[in-house]
Amino acid sequence: MAKIAEQSLQSNGWTDRADELFQQHRQEIYRNTDQLFARLMLFQWVAAIMIAMIISPRTWVGQSSYIHIHIWAAIFMGGAISVFPIWMTRAWPGAALTRHIIAVAQMLMSVLLIDLTGGRIETHFHVFGSLVILSFYRDWRVLIPATIVVYLDHFLRGIYWPYSVYGVLSASPWRSVEHAGWVIFEDIFLVISCLRSIREMRFVANRTAALESSEQNFRQIFEEAPIGMAVVGLDSRYAQVNASLCNMVGYSEEELTSRTPSEITHRDDIDKDKQLTQRLLSETTRTCVEKRYVRKDGEIIWATRTACLMRDESGKPRHYLAMVEDITQRKKDAVALEEAKNEAERANRAKDDFLAALSHELRTPLTPVLMSAAALEQEPGIEPELRRQFGMMRRNVELEARLIDDLLDLTRVSRGKLQLLFSGPVDVHSLLAHSEQIVHSDARNKSLVLRLELTANEHHVAGDAARINQVFWNLLKNAIKFTPAGGQITVRTANPTPGQLVLTVSDNGIGIDQQTLPFVFRAFEQGDIRGLQPCSGLGLGLSISKAIVELHGGTIRVESAGPGLGAVFTVELSTVLPFPEAQIQASRPRRFTGKSYRLLVVEDHEPTLAVLTRLLRDQGHDVMPASTVQDALALASDHTFDFVISDLGLPDGSGIDLMMQLSNDYGLRGIALTGYGMAEDLAKTERAGFLAHLVKPINVDQLHRVLERAQVAAG
Amino acid sequence: MQPRRTKTLFVTALLGLAWTVGIAFGLRTLLAYESTPGTIGAVPRQWPSTSQIERLTNRPTLVMLVHPRCPCTRASVAELAQLMARMQGKVDAYVLFLKPRQSGVEWEDTELRRSAAGIPSVTVLSDIDGVEARQFGAETSGHTLLFDRDGRLLFSGGITEFRGHVGDNTGVRSIESLVNGRTPARTATSVFGCALVKRSQEGDKPGWLK
Repeated sequence: MAKIAEQSLQSNGWTDRADELFQQHRQEIYRNTDQLFARLMLFQWVAAIMIAMIISPRTWVGQSSYIHIHIWAAIFMGGAISVFPIWMTRAWPGAALTRHIIAVAQMLMSVLLIDLTGGRIETHFHVFGSLVILSFYRDWRVLIPATIVVYLDHFLRGIYWPYSVYGVLSASPWRSVEHAGWVIFEDIFLVISCLRSIREMRFVANRTAALESSEQNFRQIFEEAPIGMAVVGLDSRYAQVNASLCNMVGYSEEELTSRTPSEITHRDDIDKDKQLTQRLLSETTRTCVEKRYVRKDGEIIWATRTACLMRDESGKPRHYLAMVEDITQRKKDAVALEEAKNEAERANRAKDDFLAALSHELRTPLTPVLMSAAALEQEPGIEPELRRQFGMMRRNVELEARLIDDLLDLTRVSRGKLQLLFSGPVDVHSLLAHSEQIVHSDARNKSLVLRLELTANEHHVAGDAARINQVFWNLLKNAIKFTPAGGQITVRTANPTPGQLVLTVSDNGIGIDQQTLPFVFRAFEQGDIRGLQPCSGLGLGLSISKAIVELHGGTIRVESAGPGLGAVFTVELSTVLPFPEAQIQASRPRRFTGKSYRLLVVEDHEPTLAVLTRLLRDQGHDVMPASTVQDALALASDHTFDFVISDLGLPDGSGIDLMMQLSNDYGLRGIALTGYGMAEDLAKTERAGFLAHLVKPINVDQLHRVLERAQVAAG
Repeated sequence: MQPRRTKTLFVTALLGLAWTVGIAFGLRTLLAYESTPGTIGAVPRQWPSTSQIERLTNRPTLVMLVHPRCPCTRASVAELAQLMARMQGKVDAYVLFLKPRQSGVEWEDTELRRSAAGIPSVTVLSDIDGVEARQFGAETSGHTLLFDRDGRLLFSGGITEFRGHVGDNTGVRSIESLVNGRTPARTATSVFGCALVKRSQEGDKPGWLK
């Protein structure tokens, strides 16, 4: 363990400090043991005198007595032995020489005591006890002079006065070796003990150095933390604060540590602050609060204060630790961001309003044209060529309307509000045929060969037929647009795996370079994609198509071998089982054969109103036109209607208000017919009580279908 | 700072030297004192006829003359105790404690006398004014004499080899040999103890004070 700790220390460069601590500790032990021996020497000196006074106080000559030599020996020799080492502990405390002299003196004291007690064997234990006390130095080297003194004492006495030490008349020289051997026997264990103590001291020094370093790190972290930190005592006074907190609140460390947090807290936050402090004591271990501080200069700052209660080992609360982060700038930024967001939303609403108005204004003139063309196209008994011309008119108006729709759709896509109207299984082949019919004339005009190779057996998907049709139409238009005259466009369907429909629209047109491919499905990228002069259209079709396909759970991608090598657009969708009645027959002209209604048509665009009125009357409905709110209300008061078909933007009011009033006064239900097609507009008409919301331009078929659904909905 | 340190070093060296010399001298003096024997008077070859002590005729008689207050004689009495234990009744002993005539009871009331009285086969007697000591030629406490059943002196001397130190010694070994009928290593040894009497020509101080 000590080794691991040491390695760790070395890796962290703390060995110098560990050495310093070790040396300090060792020096402290040396000095303390010096003092111990200084006191022991005095004690032994006094003890020697006492022993001499007890055992041999006087010597006698007949009836006369004199102080025994042992008394003088105890006083003078004991003093001589003791005084010099005591002086050394004062003059050279902790020095190696001091403890070595003490070791010699201690052994000499043993010699004296043994002599004073007449060589009693019990007194010899003083030698062994002294060695143990010398080992308090934890320096095994001091045992060396002590052992030498013992050996020399025994050796010399053994030669000259063997009886004084061994109690025999003559002693073998080896007797002193034997005596020294026992001393060395003890020395061995004392040396082992000293070495172990040194290892433990070094380990403790290493640990202490590590702890100091760790503590220093933590103190440095506290002092130099970029956020404010404080230790708050249980008396609610700051006990310790760091520089960041001082800078934050503008007080010096001295000023702050003489205050309580409440004194620098905004008065409106003081109660909350105290409640949280109480919670720390009773309930929770951590609190986090946004609060205001009052700086020394009076400025109010916002801060996030996270606090926790620190406890001691027994779980008793010790103090609080608080971390304070200045969030004033963040608060200001948040306000600024909120304002910017509001401004952006206002601008967005203005944009939406503009788009809605633009859509309305663009759609409205198209309505009578589309309705007339559509009605005439379906008029029985007209020449086929004429029917085709009307059809062409209808399709172009629809194309115009689609461009407007694209603009609105893009807005919906960007806001995630593009919604699908799932109408059951949709026949992709039928939709492709319909789309082909729409673009047929365009292809023919450019002398393009447009081929359909619809080989998929499973060609029904779940989705919004109109939106899927929009995708196909966009892909075909795109192919026609970027394929030079005489080119070829092929539409294929296949089922590579059961349940999967793959549709490809391939052309041998101008192709797409590799750098441009990733941007094909981005809005407004059309002009740059093909590297040509801007073509007709707004460049929104592919972007909207991608959103529609993905809303259907499918994928759309484009591949091109490069410029001049054509492009292949691939759409993958999941198939569903078909319902025979769900077959789309969009291309087949049909006539409305349902019941007739009494209709109040409100439209301020005179051409639209006229065409709509005529067409609806042609269908057998009882129609009463109105161009203002007041007219409409007047008619409603005089007549009974099944439905009201109303524009929203009217000269003297809103179609919304009109609908609400008619609904309230006469229980009338209605269909909104407007150029406003944004999501908000649809929501408004729904809230006003409209059963359906038709966006201009419309054709009569759409209106009929809506009337049928409205009748069902109205009961 | 440096001169002060130098001065301290110098003082340390001087003190160290003095310390070494002083301790060596002290030890030498102490050991010299402890190894210096006391005096011996004119020891009779026969049991003194004027002695008031009754000599045994059926076994050897041991006589030890003791100063009751001599600390060094503790070792002699201790050796006597061991000797008598080993003799197992082969010898009887008298321990005569010096007692000045004018002294009170407290003079003899010592631990030393009580120790001697506790030794088996030992008779403790008072030697008024050292009359018996003079007859036996004893001048130093611890002086021990052994007489045979006919009153002939067999041994005279101390039964410690060092002042106040117990342990194996020539005196004890010689007495044991004599009692057991063997030839002793010596028949006379040095005596270590306090002086029993003043010797006017040497003054009245112990040897180490002269």
